[in-house]
Amino acid sequence: MKIRKYLMFILMFAIFGWVNPAMAVPSPTAQLRVTLDKIVEVLRNKELSQDAILDQVNVMVRDKFDFEAMSQRTLGIHWRNATPKQRARFIELFSQLLEDTYRIRIRNYTYQNERVEYVGETVQGTRGQVDTIVVANKDIPVSYRVRLKGKEWLVYDVIVEEVSLVNNYRSSYNEIVRKEGFDGLLTRLEEKIRELDAAKKAAKGSAKKQGV
Amino acid sequence: MRRFIVFALLVMLTGLLTSGHALAVEDSLSVTEDPAVESSSADLGENSVVVEDSAGELGEVEAASDAIVGEEDFTDEEDFTNGDIETLTVFDPIEPFNRGMFWFNDKLYFYLFKPIARGYRVVPEPARESVSNFFSNLGTPVRFANSLLQLKIGDAGSELGRLIINSTLGIGGLFDPAKAWFDLGRKEEDFGQTLGNYGVGSGFYIVWPLLGPSNTRDSVGMVGDFFLDPLHYIDMKPVERVGLVGLDKETDLSLDKDTYEGIKQDALDPYLFVRNAYEQYRDGKIKK
Repeated sequence: MKIRKYLMFILMFAIFGWVNPAMAVPSPTAQLRVTLDKIVEVLRNKELSQDAILDQVNVMVRDKFDFEAMSQRTLGIHWRNATPKQRARFIELFSQLLEDTYRIRIRNYTYQNERVEYVGETVQGTRGQVDTIVVANKDIPVSYRVRLKGKEWLVYDVIVEEVSLVNNYRSSYNEIVRKEGFDGLLTRLEEKIRELDAAKKAAKGSAKKQGV
Repeated sequence: MRRFIVFALLVMLTGLLTSGHALAVEDSLSVTEDPAVESSSADLGENSVVVEDSAGELGEVEAASDAIVGEEDFTDEEDFTNGDIETLTVFDPIEPFNRGMFWFNDKLYFYLFKPIARGYRVVPEPARESVSNFFSNLGTPVRFANSLLQLKIGDAGSELGRLIINSTLGIGGLFDPAKAWFDLGRKEEDFGQTLGNYGVGSGFYIVWPLLGPSNTRDSVGMVGDFFLDPLHYIDMKPVERVGLVGLDKETDLSLDKDTYEGIKQDALDPYLFVRNAYEQYRDGKIKK
């Protein structure tokens, strides 16, 4: 009886094996490479206006990054203690802040023959890590931590030169929550986003004046 | 009709089995992750690492995947607040002093060093790269000795090879043919890393005026490396030595792509950002 059940299982598995996500999905490197290549292509496209570049990159990043998982990991214990409303607000603000951050980076970015080399990959169940090196005038190791969601490997942490982004935010935000409470953190995030918005507008204004 | 029923049964069974399979994956994951977390926390030496993981959480994950049996996307409800992440807590008993120094260095950066670096940028980048390469070549004794001390014989050999190639073919270290032609990359090693490699903890966080973020271990390391600097053994006035160090640092600053400005702009508290990044960076370097 046991053997029959076992055989049945194998049979089922053979037929419906595609239900197991890890088997049907391409490797995280393959998936990430598609997105990163597209982003680099857009960044290098000199015919696009800067706003168009930013919008296109933004869509790709939103598709490939799991801001909810990032938020959860950033807050850790405080995520569990937060109300659903606070959580939703945090995800909203945090993803906005991250977006503003890389928007500014892209604005100041000038292409200098950088290229991405894929040097390794580890997968453990539904989580994985893709190791790359950004080769510019200096080699910068950048790793992406990914999780499997449906059929997509989504990025939930970026590690640049051994420094994990989430770990870094986590330690700062923990400290702020400890001192000023969760709502204090939300207020601080709101202020920061307003500040970045103001800087963005000022930069745009001066660019227009110069006729760029 | 009978065939249809059998088929329907099979489909149902499949659903059950695969969801069971999903659960098994989830379980084994939570279990296998734990030892990894423990071992990594042991590696970090004196930095206290708080791993937020509770057995109760496991039950929650199971319950969550039970609720969505049959759905493909079983990882959606996965709890990401615990598991393989650790909070790096930096020991910072002299925070008020450090914050003062951070403020001081910040002003120095924006009102003195950065303007100089910006002016320096009129020199074409390749020339500044060469200045940087020259100083980097002078840093070989530090990297060579510390590779040896850590018994990284291959790295020590690579550093020695780099010194010979770059001092000759690279015209006194102005160029880096060792990397370009021989694929010998620089191995960043210093005495702080050597100490860390032998299990010395980081101690507490210190922000030095001018020198920036450090900790007890790396400060001792800096003193050790000071005596491995060839410039130390060349007869020159203190002013000249300071001038050369200044040229070295300003060159690197001119080549840097405004990293610090970025941090200042984005971080809610730049002090905390730099403190954590410094410790993570050093821990990572030591583990390599």
